[in-house]
Amino acid sequence: MVMTPPSAANPLSLAPGEKLANPSAPPAVTHGLSENVILTTVDDLYNWCRLSSLFPLLYGTACCFIEFAALIGSRFDFDRFGLLPRASPRQADLLITAGTVTMKMAPALVRLYEQMPDPKYVIAMGACTITGGMFSSDSPSAVRGVDKLIPVDVYIPGCPPRPEAIIDAIIKLRKKVATESMQDRAYTLQTHRFYERSHALKTVPPILTGQYLQMGTHATPPKELLEAMGMPIAEPVAELVPENEEI
Amino acid sequence: MAGTDSQPSSPEEISAPLVEAGAASSWLTENGFDHQLAPRDHLGIEVIQVAPQFLIPICTALYAYGFNYLQCQGAYDDGPGKALVSFYHLTKVDDNADRPEEVRVKVFLPRNDPRVPSVYWVWKAADWQERESYDMYGIIYEGHPNLKRLLMPEDWIGWPLRKDYISPDFYELQDAY
Repeated sequence: MVMTPPSAANPLSLAPGEKLANPSAPPAVTHGLSENVILTTVDDLYNWCRLSSLFPLLYGTACCFIEFAALIGSRFDFDRFGLLPRASPRQADLLITAGTVTMKMAPALVRLYEQMPDPKYVIAMGACTITGGMFSSDSPSAVRGVDKLIPVDVYIPGCPPRPEAIIDAIIKLRKKVATESMQDRAYTLQTHRFYERSHALKTVPPILTGQYLQMGTHATPPKELLEAMGMPIAEPVAELVPENEEI
Repeated sequence: MAGTDSQPSSPEEISAPLVEAGAASSWLTENGFDHQLAPRDHLGIEVIQVAPQFLIPICTALYAYGFNYLQCQGAYDDGPGKALVSFYHLTKVDDNADRPEEVRVKVFLPRNDPRVPSVYWVWKAADWQERESYDMYGIIYEGHPNLKRLLMPEDWIGWPLRKDYISPDFYELQDAY
């Protein structure tokens, strides 16, 4: 659909078949093309799809998740960035570590990260997941920064960071996703995914066996304690009944 | 809480006439339960110091006396080289209770062999609280139905809240630079 601008034809009286050498209006053919044709690369299209639907894992271990939950809500509304929280790591491609990670939680976090499909991104949210935060001085169990366990793309400082800071981090992550190329993927693939180290801990059977009140140990006290409880309670209880009534 | 009894080794000094016996303590004395007195805390709550072997008789007696609610069980380390303390904060829960009577029972335990009978069979609320005290201080509550670590990983070695505890030099626990 190529239109000749009316202003170019009318005021000048041209002979039939005669063409103006240098018309003052924009060239009609190329102008129409540029308004109707999009040129892009597969990379850009693919990245645009990915950055518009970063599904975060619904994962939170401490107070940072309160701010993250505020971000999910209607006031800050991160659905407009295409972020839908997923409850399964198999469907997620963004892990926001919201909250302190302890030595006890670390294996679970690494397992969640490994279960996510590639390509995947990690945002370390808050001081605890960057350096250990306020627990870094003397805690016997807080991991000093999740980047010791899994690779991190964006760090958000704060204790805890505001929801706006998470939005800022997500925009930065979108910029990072937008500049990636499928050709580079062979070079950026991680061969060594996380820092792994064998600790000399003594392996013991798990505490949580699924049997708690069913163990039978909660039913009756051991004999020694029964004797210790039974002997004195017999005398005072007999004396006590009138004393309680006084009160 | 810590520091109210700084001389556990000399209970004679603590039970000096400076401390006047409270209601629960006088009732225990009347009924022949051996215990020592400790100074009241800053809120004026009566503190009773008990030897580990008499804890269960005294706790059952206090339960019969009306202390039906274990408000808090906990432990602390009295200081480097000093005793580990297991304490029990008791109160009376009743309908329309107005400032009910409270008492705190303390047991001082030697840190090389801290063993004390479990009060789980008197107050069921002691279940997880004694597990936590075991987890953090290594106090062995004899007769507890499920004395396992509560917060620390099950294969952790050592008792993290003791004063002489040294954190392991794990890579994950080293400072981030």
